[in-house]
Amino acid sequence: MDHLINWSNFSKIVPYADLFKQGLVVTVLLSLFTVVIGFCIALVLALMRMSNIRPFRFLGYDKDGHQRESGALAVISRFNPVSFLATAYVEILRSTPVVVQLLIIYFGIFGVIELPSFQIFGFIKFNRFFPGVVALGMNSGAYLCEIIRAGIQSIDGGQTEAARSLGLSQMQNLRYIVLPQALKNILPAIANEFVVIIKESAITYTIGVQDIMSSVNAVKGATFIIIEPLLVATVIYFCLCFPTSKLIAYFERRMRHGDTR
Amino acid sequence: MATQDKLIQVKDLKKYYKGGAIKALDGVTIDINKGDVMAVIGPSGSGKSTFLRSLNLLEEPTGGSIIFNGVDLTKKKYRDARGKSVKLDVDGLRQKMGMVFQHFNLFPHMTILENMVLAPVKVKGMSRAEAEKKALELLDRVGLKDRADAYPIQLSGGQKQRVAIVRALAMEPEVMLFDEPTSALDPEMVGEVLDVMKELADEGMTMVVVTHEMGFAKEVGNRVLFMADGRLMEHGTPQDIFDHPQNPRLKDFLAKVL
Repeated sequence: MDHLINWSNFSKIVPYADLFKQGLVVTVLLSLFTVVIGFCIALVLALMRMSNIRPFRFLGYDKDGHQRESGALAVISRFNPVSFLATAYVEILRSTPVVVQLLIIYFGIFGVIELPSFQIFGFIKFNRFFPGVVALGMNSGAYLCEIIRAGIQSIDGGQTEAARSLGLSQMQNLRYIVLPQALKNILPAIANEFVVIIKESAITYTIGVQDIMSSVNAVKGATFIIIEPLLVATVIYFCLCFPTSKLIAYFERRMRHGDTR
Repeated sequence: MATQDKLIQVKDLKKYYKGGAIKALDGVTIDINKGDVMAVIGPSGSGKSTFLRSLNLLEEPTGGSIIFNGVDLTKKKYRDARGKSVKLDVDGLRQKMGMVFQHFNLFPHMTILENMVLAPVKVKGMSRAEAEKKALELLDRVGLKDRADAYPIQLSGGQKQRVAIVRALAMEPEVMLFDEPTSALDPEMVGEVLDVMKELADEGMTMVVVTHEMGFAKEVGNRVLFMADGRLMEHGTPQDIFDHPQNPRLKDFLAKVL
């Protein structure tokens, strides 16, 4: 009778240990780049969503220059195309599977744009790695946008009122008052997103990024062993994610401590 | 003390919500003169705070006009003396109106000194050294110079409000707006804040103070406005209002609070 796990198989995959090591490096780098790119995209998206750009604003004034309260013109005058675009982006990216987005970006966008084929550290294929980072970054940007938006909205409106009453412009208020406070509040949420990205990045093996998951595939292809390499991958992912989230929880507690006197 | 030099002219000011279903302000007309210390009293929900917040456009009025420095603040665009269309400079106007809030609204991520110098440096373009020197002078005036490097959370409510007042003063405003500045304070701290405000009034600062402190309205104010239901029901000297009230709503209100 076949056993679920055949211990001798582990010794058969030992020669492929280097492959897993390289996969680990790729996964970590991929996740780091993704969270950085995702954060930049998210910040822009959040600001777009909360912007006050109303090109048809002039339609909302009556002949005395007062703001109209109701009517079709008042509705049109409140339309913000920048916010609309950002909202559409976020909703589309959050409502479709990440693997679909990944494949569209890899075969679609980077099927048209030719990337140079060189290797970083001798084993990371740039023309696979880069589309992976872009796709994951765009996806997590949509999620991080909502985290940043919630962080900004959690800041008491009195802060903005005080800043504006001192004569600070909307941008100055955002830069000096709201964002510094909001970012401190959402750092744990961003770090948690990092853990999510580590796990989600496994999907990039479908476009040939040589991460941990693709090492499993490589071993499977060479030895026809599947369960044991999968278990190795499980252990590696767990050892990455579990301590990271524990570390985040620790810092979260410490930061809350700093808020009291 | 009060001259007839009009600083802010409020005409038929209206603020409606939900297309007129809620009338927070329903036609308020009043002139605020230079040097006035105007106390605004009235029951809660009477529109006192909305009135005050409309003055520096934290609330956008639905109708009427507020003329400050010769400009109607309720209009987004106006024509200057040469007939050119100019956009209203809201940020510039707000610099000239200091505001103090019920909940202080100090910036918690900055020290007291940083709270004080932010706007003078970033908005007025003052040098940091100059702004800090001025901030320390102001803090000294309210007895908090030694707390310049503390964070707001380390201060008591009364101390926070005193900082909030001098933070607004650092911008050298022409008028100071106070929105229930002592309502969130423990009773023993009310006095220290009122003392600072009294001192400010004695120096001739134009002040509009929404308050529940009838004693302050009586002693420090030279004019008292009584508001109810979004309307200005009665206004006059403290003697007029407190000793010879005319409006039945005012009589009723005074009977409850005094």
